[in-house]
Amino acid sequence: WKEFLSERTRERQNVNLMQLVYGETESKSTTKAGLQQRGTENDDSDTEFFVPKGEGTKKPEEPVNDDNIDAEDCSKFVNFASQSDWKSQESIESIRSRFVSKGWSKAARGGGSRDVD
Amino acid sequence: MGKVSYMKLKGSQNLRLRLLLATLSSKSIVIEDIRSEATWPGLRPHEVSFLRLLEKICDDCVVEINETGTKLKYKPGIIMGGRHLVHDCGVSRSIGYFLEPLIVLGMFGKKPLTIRLKGITNDSKDPSIDTFRSTTLPILKQFGVPAEGLDLKIESRGVAPKGGGEVLLSVPMVPNSLKAIKWVDEGLVKRIRGVSFSTRVSVQFENTMIHAARGILNPLLSDVHIFTDHKAGAQAGMSPGYGISLVAETTSGCVISADTTVSYARGEDDADLEDDRKDLIPAEEVGEQIASALLGEIKQGGVVDSTHQGLLFLLCALCPKDVSEVRVGKLSPYGIEALRHIRDFLDVKFVMKPDASTGTVTMMCLGSGFQNLSRKVS
Repeated sequence: WKEFLSERTRERQNVNLMQLVYGETESKSTTKAGLQQRGTENDDSDTEFFVPKGEGTKKPEEPVNDDNIDAEDCSKFVNFASQSDWKSQESIESIRSRFVSKGWSKAARGGGSRDVD
Repeated sequence: MGKVSYMKLKGSQNLRLRLLLATLSSKSIVIEDIRSEATWPGLRPHEVSFLRLLEKICDDCVVEINETGTKLKYKPGIIMGGRHLVHDCGVSRSIGYFLEPLIVLGMFGKKPLTIRLKGITNDSKDPSIDTFRSTTLPILKQFGVPAEGLDLKIESRGVAPKGGGEVLLSVPMVPNSLKAIKWVDEGLVKRIRGVSFSTRVSVQFENTMIHAARGILNPLLSDVHIFTDHKAGAQAGMSPGYGISLVAETTSGCVISADTTVSYARGEDDADLEDDRKDLIPAEEVGEQIASALLGEIKQGGVVDSTHQGLLFLLCALCPKDVSEVRVGKLSPYGIEALRHIRDFLDVKFVMKPDASTGTVTMMCLGSGFQNLSRKVS
């Protein structure tokens, strides 16, 4: 029955994602990005004095609905860069499986002896 | 002329996507409330420039803008294509902004398109010219776009604020339609390539960036080659700057990219802030940042990076009536917007199957049966 349950959860997740994208409600990530853009905008301008309509300071909790219709038209999404420190051994190991040189690069570095330090 | 029914839209968001889809699906649109409440209302120079570009490559399209620029009426015409066209993209957005929709339009023209674009070749907001060459064009080839005639040549580079770059784009037309694909295997990263550039500054900036980027990438992969492209004189545009574009190639032929550029900020015309010149990010930090961004993209999984999701979905939707299946990482905001607009204009809905173990999403859709209509008319 566990399998059955997990199967059903997966089904539901599936529907949820489609609802997020196609449903009337704004999807989470869009809202988040909208807020981020808003955030950077606000950093630049002196919003303490002038609060133009629709550009005002918004609390991150507040849902942005239809008022980000003027969101910037930009396909680039720079969000991953700051997520983890790619110098730390942990994060390097977490991504190593995505590279072909998994085996031999370790060997080349002396059987992974440098992994220790 | 009979009455035209317009599709009503609001706001300046996704203007390129809307105009592109309107043109492809021959639907007239009217967009209201374009920054109607902003300090500087109406269309921005780059948006107007994009409309002019549409007029250039299409026959019989009608663009009407009201006095304040807050309302736009667009009736699409026939995509003509043509040779020896020239367009000045201005300096408010980079050439990448124009290229993204232009390559798709070019494929469905009556004739192959060859156009010279002038402006900013590299900036941090849009995909750079180098990314287009290394990543975007190979993605098109996956869909059966003929490789001959698909080219992007960098004649000179230019960065913000003054630009001065020039590129030559040629897009072949798709004879009939694209080819539906099943593209779900992202493979393993086998090599990383890249191009760094510098204009009007010392080549030392490039070496520092490359060194820093390699510092992050080499522990994972030894096959990392980043080429330098130092420009001087007339080829270097009018402003100093430097940048780097990295691309990871996988065993299954996927290309995943990340790029950035550092230059002085342009005099923002839409913001009321004074020209405070921030210090430029040091080259070493740029190299590390971009290598990290690339690893972040690789970690996401999927057959394309987050920047190209929108393009990928669009191409899938423009396929013949056949099932396409692609796998992407976490949906990017632009990708989601693209999905919504594709539904509105082309009536194509994707089925999404999230894969919890890898964090990727498998997207399936039935193509809209789109054909190169412009060509048929002749």
